[in-house]
Amino acid sequence: MNFAEFFGNFPALTITGLEQGAIYALVALGYTLVYGVLRLINFAHSEVFMVGTFTALWTWEALGYNQNTAAPAFGAMLVAVLVGLGAAMAASALTAVTVEVVAYRPLRKRNAPPLAFLITAIGASFVIAEAFGVGTHRAPFGMPVMIPSETLFTVFGAAVTNIQLLVLGVTLVMMAALDQFVNRSRLGRGIRAVAQDADTAALMGVNKNRVIMLVFVLGGLMAGVAALLWSVRYGYTKFNVGFLIGLKAFSAAVLGGIGNLRGALLGGLLLGIAENYAAGLFGGDWKDFTGFVLLVVLLMFRPTGLLGESLGRARA
Amino acid sequence: MLLEIKDLTLLYGRIQALHGISLVVNEGEVVALIGANGAGKTTTMRAISGLRPVASGSITFDGTDVTRMRADLRVVRGIGQAPEGRGVFPGMTVMENLEMGAYTRRDRSEINKDLDMVMDLFPRLKERRKQAGGTLSGGEQQMLAVGRALMARPKLLLLDEPSMGLAPMLIQQIFEIITRINEQGTTILLVEQNAQQALSRAHRGYVLETGRIVKEGTGQELLHDPAVKEAYLGVA
Repeated sequence: MNFAEFFGNFPALTITGLEQGAIYALVALGYTLVYGVLRLINFAHSEVFMVGTFTALWTWEALGYNQNTAAPAFGAMLVAVLVGLGAAMAASALTAVTVEVVAYRPLRKRNAPPLAFLITAIGASFVIAEAFGVGTHRAPFGMPVMIPSETLFTVFGAAVTNIQLLVLGVTLVMMAALDQFVNRSRLGRGIRAVAQDADTAALMGVNKNRVIMLVFVLGGLMAGVAALLWSVRYGYTKFNVGFLIGLKAFSAAVLGGIGNLRGALLGGLLLGIAENYAAGLFGGDWKDFTGFVLLVVLLMFRPTGLLGESLGRARA
Repeated sequence: MLLEIKDLTLLYGRIQALHGISLVVNEGEVVALIGANGAGKTTTMRAISGLRPVASGSITFDGTDVTRMRADLRVVRGIGQAPEGRGVFPGMTVMENLEMGAYTRRDRSEINKDLDMVMDLFPRLKERRKQAGGTLSGGEQQMLAVGRALMARPKLLLLDEPSMGLAPMLIQQIFEIITRINEQGTTILLVEQNAQQALSRAHRGYVLETGRIVKEGTGQELLHDPAVKEAYLGVA
């Protein structure tokens, strides 16, 4: 254990943790939304994220950028990032909806048992990842640098970059928008109604399949945002890039209380921070280990996660 | 007639729950469906609202065959239901629950009028409008379920055991409100174990036994029928 280094880097570890946690949180929203309505862990959601990263890459390449081009001027950068964002969100949402329509809906029609859904989810995840693996020769792809990292200011001696601020800011804005939509709009009320009591929701005139479609779209859009932020921040992708992020985002959702939107944010940020503290204390190799130990220990004391479930039954 | 059910059968797995039920509800009526626990009353309601698929027979509502129509589309046609066990959304406030009742409507100003109307009908709901549905007492949840069903402005209101678990004074009150709702023009099909109250308030009634209709008549006829008296009214 290296306490001197840990305390020396404490502010920097916190900032990096928040940044990584923000991406976990955005992906976690997709798991939590679908779980809240269907009681289904959509393992294919990690691939919804992966498709978003490739879409960002291909969009930028189509716009004429590659790893060797210089970072564009501000105006061109803004256009490229926004176009990439729109494309990634659209592609991720489309992937999520396709999985729902092709894989899950036919099972629901036949009243398949939960285990069938679980296997189908894992299967869908592998099929999409492997299809991209075959199509891209399992190669890693570097992305063009759209926004060069630069330090904006320092907090307790730790540098805060423009990209870190962007990642955190965008995450908080998306989170707030989604929260408002689910809690204030008519369609959002429909989502909560199906999550709390699907039969009674039908008696209110809520079309369950439309609500299910909506949560897959919303989860996909959030994963698309996460994919763009990932592309800007880490600048690479690979067919299996979704696997570890998906697993951690799912853990973040459980940590915060699956089915609870704010819990997904809290769980994501907490997991990101914990991982980075662990890396500072024990070394980088212990990062993933610590994240999952934290999850298991926390669930022993709070089986429903930090905030419990709120999209579905209230803890009251 | 507003609702016509013909030879309805329904299965729960391999168990037959309804054995060819036929009944009619005319516009403007209160019709009571009485019977013991497990006779198939709630099952009949769930078949009408579309929550349970039927095996055979037909359900015609307002001139349209709705036998295989999705439940949410039947709501749009005008079938509203306050389900058994009340089905209040526990994590939503009273106000949000009522808004859910108007989910299929977009006429905001009319919805607001109906909110006022329901609050007038149930002053308790007004007091508790910001409270979560799950924290209400049984009686309050019952009022909320009935009020919420009214928010859809249904042509036919299905009430499943509205007096269940209520104190005697509240039972009286809820039946008075049912009569008032009917007088304002809503047709009502009422499922009740409290046969005395239900039959005395209903225009007509049906008696359900183990998935079959065994008797029908006006409310008064059934109230004075010796067999009904003995089985359901607790007098010999």
